[in-house]
Amino acid sequence: MKLSSGGGNETAAQGIWSGTISFSLVAIPVQLVKAVEPGRVSFRMLHGKDYSPLLRRMFCPREEKMVPPDEIIRGYEIGPDKYIVLTDEELESVSPERSRTIEIIEFIDMKDVDSIYYDHPYYLVPSKGGEKAYSLLAEVMRRANKAGLAKFVLGEREYLVAVKSMEGALSLITLHYSEEILPDEEIAPQDGKIESEEKSRMKKIIKEMTGDFTPEKYADERRKKIVKLLRKKLKEKATVEAPAVEEEEGGGPVDLIAVLEESMRKVKKSR
Amino acid sequence: MAGRAIWKGYIHLGSIAVPAKLHAAVKEERIQFHLLHSRDHVKLKQQMVCAYEKVPVPMEEQTRGFELEDGQYILVEPAELEQAEPEESRIIEVHEFVKTEQIDAVFFERAYYLEPDIPLKGYNALVGALREMDAEGICTWTMRKRSYIGALQSSGKILRLNALRYADEVISARSLELPNIPLSEKELKIGSDLINQLTAPFQPRKFENEHQKKLQGLIDKKARGEKIAILRPRRLKPTASDKLLQTLEASLKRVA
Repeated sequence: MKLSSGGGNETAAQGIWSGTISFSLVAIPVQLVKAVEPGRVSFRMLHGKDYSPLLRRMFCPREEKMVPPDEIIRGYEIGPDKYIVLTDEELESVSPERSRTIEIIEFIDMKDVDSIYYDHPYYLVPSKGGEKAYSLLAEVMRRANKAGLAKFVLGEREYLVAVKSMEGALSLITLHYSEEILPDEEIAPQDGKIESEEKSRMKKIIKEMTGDFTPEKYADERRKKIVKLLRKKLKEKATVEAPAVEEEEGGGPVDLIAVLEESMRKVKKSR
Repeated sequence: MAGRAIWKGYIHLGSIAVPAKLHAAVKEERIQFHLLHSRDHVKLKQQMVCAYEKVPVPMEEQTRGFELEDGQYILVEPAELEQAEPEESRIIEVHEFVKTEQIDAVFFERAYYLEPDIPLKGYNALVGALREMDAEGICTWTMRKRSYIGALQSSGKILRLNALRYADEVISARSLELPNIPLSEKELKIGSDLINQLTAPFQPRKFENEHQKKLQGLIDKKARGEKIAILRPRRLKPTASDKLLQTLEASLKRVA
């Protein structure tokens, strides 16, 4: 599950969250940024009429109008059309000590973490003034192959996370809680007897097929086919042009309406 | 419970085929919220809006485009996308084996259990062989009209399959362009001593999702009409660079 701070869209540059990471008495200002980008060839939804890109907006069905971000609140459903409304401040009050701080409780050996716990990866980048302590934490964890274990709250969720060193950076992996891991006893073989001859045969095959992990070798077949299709269409010059409008919707709390209006002005000026 | 099988087929390695069924290994149950309009508490819907005309656009007027450069698109029809779907297959093809520690956590997307199918002989032998060699099989398969890359691993008596991310989906740490800050050996030494002092075995069961319970408590309180005390989030004062060594020393003194 991806971390989400609500209805907003996030961009790498802006950071998903900003706060402090701490261990013992050391506190480092940081930003959380994404570490993965869904690689499916991404298409834009367009308006068939003018080929203008479509923007995802929240819409109030009763007033039949778009709702700006500052009029969006979170509700917990208690019955049909009945909600308990919770403000961001109230949500932060649930665990105020964890909403702006990633406090490393203890360090662990990264190899002790079973990969089944891995959920979603992010990077932490240092904010101004935090660069040195950040480098130190990354370097000492790299040398010891250790990771810091912490809990922190973002939006309505609390995450258990492992912070580790990766090529000079700090990566943050959200972990599943152990209660989220399904038991595997039921699917385990009734008879787990291993025949040594068969096992030796397997080991021989594994040995013959052993190599280094080079993920670049494997490409998504579907993506490859789509790219081929797009190349073909490009050759046929099957392109359309949209009226110029400002780039992608920005991150979360910016005033999207203002951005839109600004871009509309630009469009008009350029004509 | 591990739930129903979501896929059934064979693991292929070399000339051997091991029958198995795929099950989800992880289930998340979290409190769900809806987005409401603050003025009338009506549940909001997502709506696609034309960036140019600023009007809602119904489904039938929406089309898909691949952006070449600013405002230039190649239009793609749903039928064309369907043709790009991978062919259905019942095979998890193992291409090679790697040492477990070679796969960084950043690649892991989702874990599945593989339930053995009859006969058990190959399955059990593979579990044992992977464990003894500390190896994982890099494999590909097709499921739900998507092609997957994964790592086949042993865990106790069973095989697990971890869906991995494709290499080009992972943003490299180098692209963050972090500054290279010189650190003194003394700072590194004290920092290392400190994290060694704070090291404990990884015991995931120790960590409960207490927040979920507290959140439910908050919702119940509001439902009863009680007032919620607003607590300010704690903010820590960043450690100044010229105070780093001093702070590390003070930390070490505290834990030693």
